[in-house]
Amino acid sequence: MNTPATLTFAPLMAALQAEALTNRRPDTVRGCYISDLLSDVLAHAEPGMLWLTIQTHRNVVSVAATKDIAVVLFTCGRRPEPEIVTEAEQEGVALLTTRLSTYEAAGKLWEAGLRGENSHE
Amino acid sequence: MHPAPASFGDADAGDARRISVAQVLVYELRVRDAMSKPPITAAPTDSLRVIQTLMKSRRISGVPITRGDALLGIISIEDIINALDRGYINEPAEAHMARNVVTLRDHFSLVRAVAEFDRHEFGRFPVLDGDEHLVGIITRGDITNCLMQHLERRAEEALAQEATLRAARAADEAANRVVIRAHVRTGDYDSAGKISQRMRQVLRDRGVDPEIQRRAAVVAYEAETNIIIHSLGGEIIATIDPDKIVIEAVDTGPGIESVDQAMQEGWSTAGRLPRELGFGAGMGLPNIKRCSDELKITSDSQQGTRLHSEIRIRKPGAAT
Repeated sequence: MNTPATLTFAPLMAALQAEALTNRRPDTVRGCYISDLLSDVLAHAEPGMLWLTIQTHRNVVSVAATKDIAVVLFTCGRRPEPEIVTEAEQEGVALLTTRLSTYEAAGKLWEAGLRGENSHE
Repeated sequence: MHPAPASFGDADAGDARRISVAQVLVYELRVRDAMSKPPITAAPTDSLRVIQTLMKSRRISGVPITRGDALLGIISIEDIINALDRGYINEPAEAHMARNVVTLRDHFSLVRAVAEFDRHEFGRFPVLDGDEHLVGIITRGDITNCLMQHLERRAEEALAQEATLRAARAADEAANRVVIRAHVRTGDYDSAGKISQRMRQVLRDRGVDPEIQRRAAVVAYEAETNIIIHSLGGEIIATIDPDKIVIEAVDTGPGIESVDQAMQEGWSTAGRLPRELGFGAGMGLPNIKRCSDELKITSDSQQGTRLHSEIRIRKPGAAT
């Protein structure tokens, strides 16, 4: 099991050309997971991670809160409803959105030095 | 009579749906529950004098005249006064009784009985059963007494129930136990995660290891979404003790066809909508299993599915 590299918030935002939807800004993210299946995220994401998804409904916030995921990045220019942002604010989850595709965003994050989740056996 | 202010039914129901206990009782209770029985009767050949004595000794104001169980007529106190006034008190009842007697059936609701009293202005009604037999007699006073008795009984039951609940709560507090109980509605995707978050808050306040908090939250979340996606509705009960968390998910059906199959990763029966929302990965039960220290699932098409998961809380500093 490799230790995922961390990335501080400012370079993260720059790499992703992202827009912050919440006021909350964690200092760093630690590792990354990409999935649009909620149970998959519940099974494999780790606390403090960045999660990339195209799902924007409120269960994304619930799942992120359940797993103590630090930041959720909506890719492909997707954005959630305002009440979901409010809820994320209350649950302590930061939300970002980027116009980049999931693939491009992942590439940029890798270039910026963020490494992935634990490999699956 | 003023109904008691006590209310009845689902505490969450809106005020518009609240009905007083007395209102419920007048619909629930039947004439047979309130009537005086057996009725005090006289024979058609009894003199009005005999009936006058009977009324005085039994403190009643009307006497049905019967042959066997068959109602022939009725003598009221007014008939007796008229008889005394006009000098025929020693004549037999059948010569002066009212013959076309308005009666009530023993299965009528009390609300109907009250309506009949309002309509006819009689002080009493003889009560007949389905076979036309006289089985009792009812007055407004009987109805009031019956309602008061039942209200009192309901009030006692409510107090006893409250005492039981209070005792259970006190026992929970003494054991440092918190129980979170919530109904889960089928298809209510927007509410998913509420229970797991409430439970999480309790665990956070207790300083439980964050990894254990997350495992419990995953179990509760997956169990809750399973009910939302697959069942006809159910309930989640999370019991938090100092040494363990027990999460129970109970639904009313239709049951899991094959629990073994459902435990396999990737196997799902979820429909299109939940899948579009990112549910239905076929990982719910495997996730629950991975996060539980103990897991029991029973399911059948009659009684629905019952899931029981336990997660142990290690004392800080204790050996793992």
